Amino acid sequence: MGLASVNTASEGMQLCIFDLRRGQQEGQELDKILFFFPADLPFATQLSVIGLSEGLITFTRIFSPDAACEVIEAERHSHVFYEAESDIWMVMVVDKSKESKAACQVDALRKVLKEVHSLFVLFHGTMRSMLEKETSGGLIRSHLYPFITDYLSGCGDLNLTCNFWADFLIGRKLQLPSFHDCLMERGTVQMLTVGREAAIEVQSLVKVLECSAGTTSCYSLVLFQDLLVSTTLSPDDTISLFTYAVLRLTPHALSSGATSWSYLQRTNAGSQVPALSTITNSGSVSDNIYRSQNNCQVKRPLHHNRWFRGNDGFLASDIWGTDNGSQTSVTPIVYLQLTEERMYLCAYQHKSLTIILLVPVSSILNGEQGLSLVKQQVLENASLKMLMVEEKLSKGWGGENAYHVSGYRYLLVDDERVSRASPPAKVMTLAKESLLALSKLREEVNLEKKRAKCSSKLEICVRAKNGAWVIARTSRGKELYMVLEKASETLLYAADSVEKFSNRYCSGVFSLD
Amino acid sequence: MSSSDSSSSSASDDPNPKLKPQPLESQFQSSLTLEDSDGVARTDDASVAEQQQEQQDEGSGNGSVDGVVNVEDNGHRDSSDREEGIGSGEARDGDGGSGGGGGVVWRRANSEVELEVEAPASPSSSGYAGGRGSSGASSASRADDASEEDEIEVVGNDDGGAVGAPDSQAEWTPGKRHVDEDDASISWRKRKKHFFILSNSGKPIYSRYGDEHKLAGFSATLQAIISFVENGGDRVKYVKAGMHQVVFLVKGPIYLVCISCTEEPFESLVAQLELVYGQMILILTKSLNRCFEKNPKFDMTPLLGGTDVVFSALIHSFSWNPAAFLHAYACLPLPYATRQAAGAILQDVADSGVLFALLMCKHRVGTSLKVISLVGAQKASLHPDDMLLLGNFIMSSESFRQVTSESFSPICLPRYNPMAFLHAYVHYFDADTYLILLTTRSDAFYHLKDCRIRIETVLLKSNVLSEVQRSTLDGGMRVEDLSVDLQQHTGSTSRVEDKPHTETPERIRESSLVGLGGPAGLWHFLYRSVYLDQYVSSEFSSPINTHRQQKRLYRAYQKLYVSMHSKGIGPHKTQFRRDENYVLLCWVTPDFELYAAFDPLADKALAIKTCNKVCQWVKDVENEIFLLGASPFSW
Repeated sequence: MGLASVNTASEGMQLCIFDLRRGQQEGQELDKILFFFPADLPFATQLSVIGLSEGLITFTRIFSPDAACEVIEAERHSHVFYEAESDIWMVMVVDKSKESKAACQVDALRKVLKEVHSLFVLFHGTMRSMLEKETSGGLIRSHLYPFITDYLSGCGDLNLTCNFWADFLIGRKLQLPSFHDCLMERGTVQMLTVGREAAIEVQSLVKVLECSAGTTSCYSLVLFQDLLVSTTLSPDDTISLFTYAVLRLTPHALSSGATSWSYLQRTNAGSQVPALSTITNSGSVSDNIYRSQNNCQVKRPLHHNRWFRGNDGFLASDIWGTDNGSQTSVTPIVYLQLTEERMYLCAYQHKSLTIILLVPVSSILNGEQGLSLVKQQVLENASLKMLMVEEKLSKGWGGENAYHVSGYRYLLVDDERVSRASPPAKVMTLAKESLLALSKLREEVNLEKKRAKCSSKLEICVRAKNGAWVIARTSRGKELYMVLEKASETLLYAADSVEKFSNRYCSGVFSLD
Repeated sequence: MSSSDSSSSSASDDPNPKLKPQPLESQFQSSLTLEDSDGVARTDDASVAEQQQEQQDEGSGNGSVDGVVNVEDNGHRDSSDREEGIGSGEARDGDGGSGGGGGVVWRRANSEVELEVEAPASPSSSGYAGGRGSSGASSASRADDASEEDEIEVVGNDDGGAVGAPDSQAEWTPGKRHVDEDDASISWRKRKKHFFILSNSGKPIYSRYGDEHKLAGFSATLQAIISFVENGGDRVKYVKAGMHQVVFLVKGPIYLVCISCTEEPFESLVAQLELVYGQMILILTKSLNRCFEKNPKFDMTPLLGGTDVVFSALIHSFSWNPAAFLHAYACLPLPYATRQAAGAILQDVADSGVLFALLMCKHRVGTSLKVISLVGAQKASLHPDDMLLLGNFIMSSESFRQVTSESFSPICLPRYNPMAFLHAYVHYFDADTYLILLTTRSDAFYHLKDCRIRIETVLLKSNVLSEVQRSTLDGGMRVEDLSVDLQQHTGSTSRVEDKPHTETPERIRESSLVGLGGPAGLWHFLYRSVYLDQYVSSEFSSPINTHRQQKRLYRAYQKLYVSMHSKGIGPHKTQFRRDENYVLLCWVTPDFELYAAFDPLADKALAIKTCNKVCQWVKDVENEIFLLGASPFSW
């Protein structure tokens, strides 16, 4: 009994979540498992994956008490660890022989885990609190399954739970980050650059919005297309909510057939292509443990194609059911990370403009009725402003290649929260060798970042075998990655190009001296 | 009993090996017959067991009786007191803990300790650690070492600046330390870099720190991790946790593990494990696999008893010897004619049945090995890694190092033929210069002795040895010399006007404040000739003065090397890297690789120009800094 059976049974990827505080007695090991994909693996196999993980967490703590196991790299598998909450671990096992794009960054995989977790927390609160609420673990298991499945699946319109796993498998291949993604950064927001005038308009819109709710403690997030225009939320909450919006709320997300250029949406675009992965018979898996709870009561915030735009311009979804009295759909509630405050999530859309308003649950006395009053207020006070802002932004909007800089393929990350990159379509033109080289270089830089802790200045220019220049710069919390593929350029020429770019687009952060 | 001739044990088994003529085929017995199953495996085993028995009978006092035969030039010994003679010889060498006795009675290689500070044997010596043991744990040099070399995380903070002694390499004493520790000790857990060798049944064979016996439980854990993953049809390569890396290497029945928080890349660490394994093969040959096939619980530790010093010296070299990651060797700069003269006589000898003849010298700084000349018989070629391991074995074992003594020892060159023993004749001409003659014949001692005498005569006559001494004093290329007109240097690296580079602490401190270096802020460079398998390194100059700074630069080079040669996509062509410590420039072509370190504020354009100058300089003097033509690599 070992991983061998895992290899044959799985489709190249396993994902598990387990709680080290549970199942410590012999015979109760199964209790540790909160989530395991694929669920049809024999428990013994699941336990052996978790056993190895647990063993190495303990082992590595001997030497590194503060940072336990992060990755196990074996010849055929990578095991990526993420301690989502204290003692609750997420481990992803990727089969390198099956993933042809084996050279994916471990950090990118870990960011997937991080993203799943933060989205889960956004809608359900922390796993620990859910475990405390219902100690048998049934509640959290019944929530985790559909949630992660929905997250990883790329294609929509699968409302039959029996197709659960098929759904998952199709999405899987498309979702795992690979070296192709080395010019993008998961877990960051992408901002729209706005002119001064538009910025002032947006500002006043935000003010009006937040007054409409009648309380001072509500927050707003304004998006144009798949880009962030403004936020009044904390950085972490902004990232979670932005991620969710781009996945499910923005115009692109709503019309899931449309081609998208955001990395968060690429899977949707990709799912149009016939999936390579065969739908295995695991589609009919019904696992007692995970299905024990009534599935209907479990909300699936990431369920595909369940949001639509109502006549009033507000987005609605039946995910949270319908209000008995008014026949309107129930407004979802999200949790803020720092304050753990519960907020109603109201989303309004006008053309390319998406506005998310978070209203404290505590401030609305009579639920949906109270909320609809707030919505009315918003429409009355702000609809004109929203029209204007949309118009202004549309005028200034350069299209999906707006941030393309000709001759450059780049990624700019600010403080690990905000990023801007060459459009994916442009990145696709790069040679595989260049991308692999950059992917490798990013790993090196990540190591340096980890080592240096405080942001240090670093400049690396590599001329790869294919003649491309692969460049990384870090300075004052900003990172710049770049591929220049014009052959016969000298180091000085390459450095000069970076300098020019830095001066024009990064206000000289990466310039020397 | 007759079988013993074939194995490592011939010297001690055979009452008088050097006098006994051996049939030609038996010279190759171990290599040839190992192919055919049990017979030889059994003999190997048997001879080992026999030896152990023999030693036990004799009493375990002479811990270092072994395959290494030390013959004093002036003393004749008859066969019966041969072993004792060796033993006593060793004892005289200051073999501190040899009396430890433990379970270890048979030693293949000498385990003498070279203690710069003469420390009495510590009673706590486990016997396991042989000569090295824990003796002198309290000596001053030890304490100094602890901060420099042993690298407890907290203490050995890399950016400690110019704390340590300016040239503490020289003060590094080989051998095992901290035997009192085990995996329960905090200090043990905080060591920056652990190395473990264990058997696939989880038996500890070697640990860099701590007592192997006490680490049995830990060793079993390592084995469990490896076999757990192996049972799943996979093979674990490494585990990362924070700044720590656990790197695994499986070599048949032997497992090697490195646990490090030195930030060295995985590729470097695994290469180091390969070398550690190679070192073990050099001592025992790969035929030890047979022992494990026969008995999975086979205990190897007696076979390696006393070789701690060899492993610890090798591991130590991983943090200063570029040969370990460049896979190339360095030559002592010499006038072309001098090297030619040395090569000619070595060639002469090689034609008379010597497989390899190497004339080497110990470099002034540390124990770095530099080649004066080397020659292989016919098409035999010597891998740089084998040279590194051989050099380490010889230089870390005190018994070889007696000037005017001769040693004759079975060794295996893992890259040349991991299955067979060769026999090495080693002789020191002076404290730094020594000759290694390798042969396949275990009875060639007298022949090799004659060869050595011939070589010595020629070397003396043609002043090679004095040139060598002069060169060791003068040192190699200095970045400062690049600043002046290049023409001046063509054809001459040995600069008479230069006073010996004696590093008085005053001078170092002075210059480290000034921070001179070469033109355009050039601090140091490494140049590796791809075809020659050789490299040249500039002398360390200010501000890279302290051992700590040198080690940091070494690590930076090592990282750069891995980055340039990254698997699957490498090698890259050029790399420019600027961080808070250096500007590093690397240039890889089919002919050479250049690694150069500059002041972190160096100007890019000037740095590139300077690198071109360095390459030109190296080309101009390649006759003197490299071994050309005569080498076995030239075809």
